[in-house]
Amino acid sequence: MADDKPTVKQQRDARRQEKVAELKRQQARAKRNRTIGIVTASVAGAAAIALVVTFVVTSGQPRQDPQAIEIDGVKTYSDLTANHVGGSVDYAMTPPAGGDHNQIWLNCGVYTEPVPNENAVHDLEHGAVWFTYDPEQVSESEIEALRDFAPDTYAVVSPYEGLDSPMYVSAWGAQLPFANVTDDEATVSDFVTKYWKSTNAPEPGAPCTGGVDGTGKIA
Amino acid sequence: MTAPGRDDADVTDGAGPHRASSSRRLRLVIAGVLTVAIVLLVGIALGRLSSPNPVTPGTDSVEAGFSRDMQVHHEQAVQMAMMVRDRTDDPEVRSMAYDMALTQSQQAGQMYAWLELWRVPQAPSEPTMTWMTRPTLDGDYGSHHMTGDGGASGSATPVATHEPGGRMPGLATDEQLAALDSARGVEAERLFLTLMIAHHEGGIEMADAILARSEVTQVRAFASGMVQTQQSEIDAMQAMLAERS
Repeated sequence: MADDKPTVKQQRDARRQEKVAELKRQQARAKRNRTIGIVTASVAGAAAIALVVTFVVTSGQPRQDPQAIEIDGVKTYSDLTANHVGGSVDYAMTPPAGGDHNQIWLNCGVYTEPVPNENAVHDLEHGAVWFTYDPEQVSESEIEALRDFAPDTYAVVSPYEGLDSPMYVSAWGAQLPFANVTDDEATVSDFVTKYWKSTNAPEPGAPCTGGVDGTGKIA
Repeated sequence: MTAPGRDDADVTDGAGPHRASSSRRLRLVIAGVLTVAIVLLVGIALGRLSSPNPVTPGTDSVEAGFSRDMQVHHEQAVQMAMMVRDRTDDPEVRSMAYDMALTQSQQAGQMYAWLELWRVPQAPSEPTMTWMTRPTLDGDYGSHHMTGDGGASGSATPVATHEPGGRMPGLATDEQLAALDSARGVEAERLFLTLMIAHHEGGIEMADAILARSEVTQVRAFASGMVQTQQSEIDAMQAMLAERS
């Protein structure tokens, strides 16, 4: 019995050692598998993120539909009529921002004298923007800055007496009162971006030359 | 300290293999999903990068810049063509002017429509001609670079250096327009032909500049056609001008 006992104990020890070794092997295998899994997942994750970034970068700048630009202080008018009429027209707003007009359009450009409403409104129908300033409320340098600011084509700049704001920019169905192009540059630029030659006008791209000159055309 | 105990329990209570296989299945599913996602992304990225129109041109693209500037350029050609028709009875000049006015008016409409379809403003987002200062497709900046990429023109002209906000090549000045306005008969014809030859040469320079910078199919087809037809019109106008000298 004294000889058997250690033998059994030894056998038990051997089995336990066997079991411990087996456990250690399993743990090592599990650990290795886990490492492989983590490395694979990390590489795959990094690759996926890199691809998404590439995708976003190559898709260019996010575009903003010009029609979606919101402009503070802009007044809009819908349901404007666009008939060709002789004589003067009584417009719903001052300065006019669309409506019936003379059959001959005003040649776009810079004027030192007031221009006839009826011809200028025809320009708005063709997609032009019309900058007006009240000579009583603006300085010579503000007028110069406005003339520099106005687009070279499809724009009219002219004085307009008796405005309720120093300056206005009008397009077909929309207008914005403002003080000058220095203080309000961002807003006025937004207006031009949204309305210059825009599809809001009934005939954008129709001529703004070959019509009639007003008095005092200097450019 | 808890991990070995749990592993021990796994082995002894017989739930171990089952639990191990379910976590292996989960890992397989995740790996599968990731593989599918990556293959899809790679496919989309490759498709997008290799397609002829990789992206819709944005507001600061060379294509949008060309479409805006060339509309202005064409509008002046229409204006001059309409002017000469009212200032001479010569059928040859009048029919050429008729052709130019309607062609360029229609082409301006095409460029207008591109900008609408690209959902970018008609109004320039940067100064005139800025797009012509951008690098070409082969990485050049255009100055001292021989173009004539259209081939049809046959005249590879050295491109002048342009600056943002600069004047478009070939545009008539206000003074030249005023001179045409007051001219009549053969004088008006000569002035028109002289101004329009320069105008077309400038137009071809701009068309060559976009051909060197854009891979957008419609824009390239348009510009190639412009180079070809305006060059043939230049040849015709030079002959007409010689007859009137």
